[in-house]
Amino acid sequence: MKIAVCIKRVPDMETRFKIAASGTAVDEAGLKYDMSDFDGYAVETALQLNEKQGPGETVVVSLGPDVVQEQLRKALSMGADRAVQLKSDRVPADGLSIARALAAELKDGGYDLIFFGRQAVDSANATVGPMVAEMLGLPCATAVSTLDIANGRGTARRDLEGAAEIVEFALPAVVTIDEGMPRARYPSLKGIMAAKKKPLEVRPAQLGAESLTLEKMELPPERAAGRIVGEGPGAVPELVRLLHTEAKVL
Amino acid sequence: MRIENAVFLLVLILAVGFFSYNVQRLIGYLSIALPDDRGGHPLVRLKNVITVAFLQKKILRDPVAGPMHALIFWGFVVLTAGTLELLLNGSFPAFSYAFLPAPLYGFYSVSQDLFGALVLGAIAFAFYRRLVLHPARLEGDNLEHSDALLILGAIAGLMVTMFAVNALELARDPDSIIRAKPLSLALSMPLHALPAGLLTGAHALFWWTHALLVLAFLNYLPYSKHLHIVSSIPNVYLSNSQGPGPKGVIRFLDLEAENVEQFGAADVDQMTWKDLLDGYTCTECGRCTAVCPAHLTGKVLSPRKIIIDTRRRLMEKAPLLVGDRSELAHHTLVHGEGDEGARTVTEILEHRLLDNYITEEELWQCTTCRACIQECPVGIEHLDHIVDMRRNLVLMESRFPPEVLPTFESLERNGSPWAFRPDDRAKWADGLDIPTMAELVERGESPEILFWVGCMGSFDDRSKKISVAFARILQAAGVPFAILGQEESCNGDPARRMGNEYLYQTLAKQNIETLTRYDVKTIVTFCPHCFHQIGNEYPQLGGNYEVIHHSTYIERLLEAGRVPFDTDDGKVLTMAYHDSCYLGRYNDVYDAPRETLRRALPIVTMVEPERTRDRGMCCGAGGGRMFMEETQGKRINVERAEQLLATGADMLAVACPFCMTMISDGVKAKDSEVPVFDISEVVASRLRL
Amino acid sequence: MANFFALAESRSGALRRVAFETVSAARALADASGGGEVHALLSGAPGVASLATELGKYGADVVIVVEHAGLAKTNVEAVAATAAERIKAGGYRAAIFSASAEGRDLAPRVAAKLGVSMAADVTTLELVGDALVVKHPAYAGKVIATLKLTGSPAVVTLRPGARAPVESAKDARVESAQPAVDPAASKLVVKEMIVGGSAKLDIGDAPVIVSGGRGLKSAENFKLVEDLAAAFGNAAVGATRAVTDDGWRPHSDQIGQTGRQVSPDLYVACGISGAIQHIAGMRNSRTIVAINRDKDAPIFKVADYGIVGDAIEILPVLTAAVKEARSKG
Repeated sequence: MKIAVCIKRVPDMETRFKIAASGTAVDEAGLKYDMSDFDGYAVETALQLNEKQGPGETVVVSLGPDVVQEQLRKALSMGADRAVQLKSDRVPADGLSIARALAAELKDGGYDLIFFGRQAVDSANATVGPMVAEMLGLPCATAVSTLDIANGRGTARRDLEGAAEIVEFALPAVVTIDEGMPRARYPSLKGIMAAKKKPLEVRPAQLGAESLTLEKMELPPERAAGRIVGEGPGAVPELVRLLHTEAKVL
Repeated sequence: MRIENAVFLLVLILAVGFFSYNVQRLIGYLSIALPDDRGGHPLVRLKNVITVAFLQKKILRDPVAGPMHALIFWGFVVLTAGTLELLLNGSFPAFSYAFLPAPLYGFYSVSQDLFGALVLGAIAFAFYRRLVLHPARLEGDNLEHSDALLILGAIAGLMVTMFAVNALELARDPDSIIRAKPLSLALSMPLHALPAGLLTGAHALFWWTHALLVLAFLNYLPYSKHLHIVSSIPNVYLSNSQGPGPKGVIRFLDLEAENVEQFGAADVDQMTWKDLLDGYTCTECGRCTAVCPAHLTGKVLSPRKIIIDTRRRLMEKAPLLVGDRSELAHHTLVHGEGDEGARTVTEILEHRLLDNYITEEELWQCTTCRACIQECPVGIEHLDHIVDMRRNLVLMESRFPPEVLPTFESLERNGSPWAFRPDDRAKWADGLDIPTMAELVERGESPEILFWVGCMGSFDDRSKKISVAFARILQAAGVPFAILGQEESCNGDPARRMGNEYLYQTLAKQNIETLTRYDVKTIVTFCPHCFHQIGNEYPQLGGNYEVIHHSTYIERLLEAGRVPFDTDDGKVLTMAYHDSCYLGRYNDVYDAPRETLRRALPIVTMVEPERTRDRGMCCGAGGGRMFMEETQGKRINVERAEQLLATGADMLAVACPFCMTMISDGVKAKDSEVPVFDISEVVASRLRL
Repeated sequence: MANFFALAESRSGALRRVAFETVSAARALADASGGGEVHALLSGAPGVASLATELGKYGADVVIVVEHAGLAKTNVEAVAATAAERIKAGGYRAAIFSASAEGRDLAPRVAAKLGVSMAADVTTLELVGDALVVKHPAYAGKVIATLKLTGSPAVVTLRPGARAPVESAKDARVESAQPAVDPAASKLVVKEMIVGGSAKLDIGDAPVIVSGGRGLKSAENFKLVEDLAAAFGNAAVGATRAVTDDGWRPHSDQIGQTGRQVSPDLYVACGISGAIQHIAGMRNSRTIVAINRDKDAPIFKVADYGIVGDAIEILPVLTAAVKEARSKG
């Protein structure tokens, strides 16, 4: 099968983020970048499908400045066959323009499957995948935790709040990959060496107009320091009160 | 020359010729391997041969089998002189050592008799041990006893026939030049009455039996585990297990070399010739497996099996690679679990050492504690085999226990095995007035030492207390020091031991760059892994520093009287110290921590667990095991905690943050309240405020 | 003055709480714009119309009801087409969906059909001039982004629970409509719907995790942990490596460096001292409660709330208190 996987370069979420002087972005100093977690699952899922189901091609696509080539190379080192960079000087906040650029690239690619991660772990929108599906007129299974592909059809499980559904769709299709799917494999050194020789095409991204702008970024209020509520079973009522009124988790 | 001499000479030439053919064949198999520089330092290597081989230093670590083997070995050395005389005399009847000055010849004669008897006694005990006592370490790994019993029988036969030849000779001629042999003389007494013809006939019969047994024995060796008689002395000479250089240093892997497409080893032709020589040398004595913490706690790993499998696979594949199609190449008497299935040439070439002989599971169970190497009396370096195969798993096939993935990823992203933020690295030092190197440089100062905190000391709440304790000692002693703070990152040891050389080199190079930037000369650390890695393995990448473990450093401060102690001597306690592998077996630091404890707590009684010092048992965290599940058998840390608690100590001391975690957990698992402290915490608790 | 569109989700013949949230948010915007109308789209199997009046309570002026046998189960393609058609026809200022699984599926398709930008998972909405300004937590909740939507209509998904539904009684007019496309023509169909909590909640998904360590003393005492988890209703049970190593709990329950890494809304650590191996797997939880005998245990360093004491004594009391708190709503 011919599978496209759209991946995004994101900073490591363990970081304690600072806001850049512009006030509309996080401070990039000292950030470590990787492929978004769910995108990694998506690459892995594609690779496993092609490994199990015979000859195929896994193409990774990423939109952004040249630094995204790092993540494309990582996907190649995992085993993807070739990579496409849709070059733009930044990644817009507007998912619609990203979707347009990706749809233009993927439209005539002859892909059986187009994978996305459920959402990028940084912007956390989960919008680009279904938008691309709509633009290409394809069915889209979002946030799937299982996926079976057989005889030109797909079956997947989607977890909803307190429920789940099993969906079936015809290929070609767009699928966004959630927790539950295999984690990204760790690239071997052999894979890293091989990736250096694999093709990486660079094309300008056709983003189009944007009608969503990022006005401001700010840090949420600091989490209060932890405290000992009390000793022994006598402290339980106070704990429950705090969980209810302060932490709002009860 | 009589006809029988001519016949014997022919037999001798054929036997020696066949033996040397086989030796050349086995040496030829080593040509399939990778190069390894084991030259240089001839004096150190010679010293190893003298102590380990000739003085049987390691053999004698076993109080029972040790003297037994030493007697057989020394007996063999002595008796080989007699055997040579006999073989030469058989070919050239005129030859004998009689030309020697009489006292020397007499000494020689007596020694033959004496050692013959000692060897016979040792062999008798060896039979008794194998057939009656059944020592545990001679079992397992699908070992067969037939090879060993055959060899023991052959040696016994050699001794018996030797005595028979001598006794018959003396019976025939009581004035023979060999009359100085007391036992043979005594044996000859009852034989005088026998007719001369019978004596002559019997003498000839035993002589031929003895001589042919010698030659058969010689030619049996290349097909037997007893090849060690030939290979162990070279192997000890070529081994790095006792030095030259620091112990336990992992072989450097050049990742930038042109045209290298294989990293690590999946099969024998991807190993070094020393790895393969290890295979020839193993006598299956099981000393390694008997001390292996993984094996002792019921896991499948057996270091002996790793070596036996290497040899089995070599004997299977090497003949094909070197084009040796002779039938002779296919007969071996080696044992061990392994690949029984592959027999056609295609099958043999499709199979490999990894997976078909040695499973991934075995390899990941190793804690890299070096106990196996420490015990091996013939210089085998098991860890080279294990790490090389781990390298192949990680670098070539990306195969490792799934729980290791977050560790690799965190090392890559955060420079620590856990996903903690690098900017929190120096949080433990908040409010303690400890400068970072960056701050000192800004002020134009430079410290006496760099305190390398390590990831445990930076992020693990228990170990942070050790960081604080050690910093307080340095401050109390007035030592100007600094830390790297955010600029420190994992030394790379877990990655390297888990076979991820690529990640290791990335981390190490980054640290070397930082250390070079600050022109650091002396580093002190309380983590033995950082200590070993930076001090002993960074030189491979061009990082050369004086690295001192805090046990040694504190001992020096105490000796110099630089640490102000409280006058209160504290409570009367008994305390047991647990040796860290990377401090002890890797770096021979055994006394500094003990001496530090003694100086800090003069009224405390030190007790030693049964396994201690260079026999100490691993806590279970090394070799990246800290970051892996331990699902098979008993947990190593619990086993070790039991051993430590069995001393009855009121308090346990460690000198490694990983040991701290493992031993504390083990003590908790035993529902014991015995506290575990780092040696620096013990010292810090005595500081005068 | 402007009109607003809200999608009302229902499941198994009942409106979902998120339906009231979207309608209520649309109401607030309509009021803020100077008194426009709120139109809610309610689709489902025949009979779903009966739910329409309830939407009125939360401020819907019009409920567009689309009843069709082919909509008995989720039918994203048909509902998206219908919603897009209605939104286009209605000239709304904004269309509000929930950031639920269903809403996140629908809204991007609708936005793409309309050719407008959208903001996802927003926590606040505000009309500023011609624009809709929203806040959206990003970077794993560590950064709050303020976004401005200038297209018309603006499409947003509203984070469930971010904005409590407010009652604002209206007599909702019901307007029947047909699906914009034949539901049977959808390329993706729901074969099976699995409802209810029969399946054990996975520790990776559970909003609450109650976790036990060696301080519980025995495998039997994990019953206390299970009881507390049951009292929460939406909780899974976790364990430390020491506990899974001892076989008190299966390895799949292990939370930590070598187990699962979790970040639930609430993490209750019972009898866990907080070894680095464990902390590495749970410290990103939103709220952490620790119960441990040793007041110096490292777990208290990462906990928001701690009780010093024996978990075996405290757990039954906590379970009872949680049950009571939850019964009060």
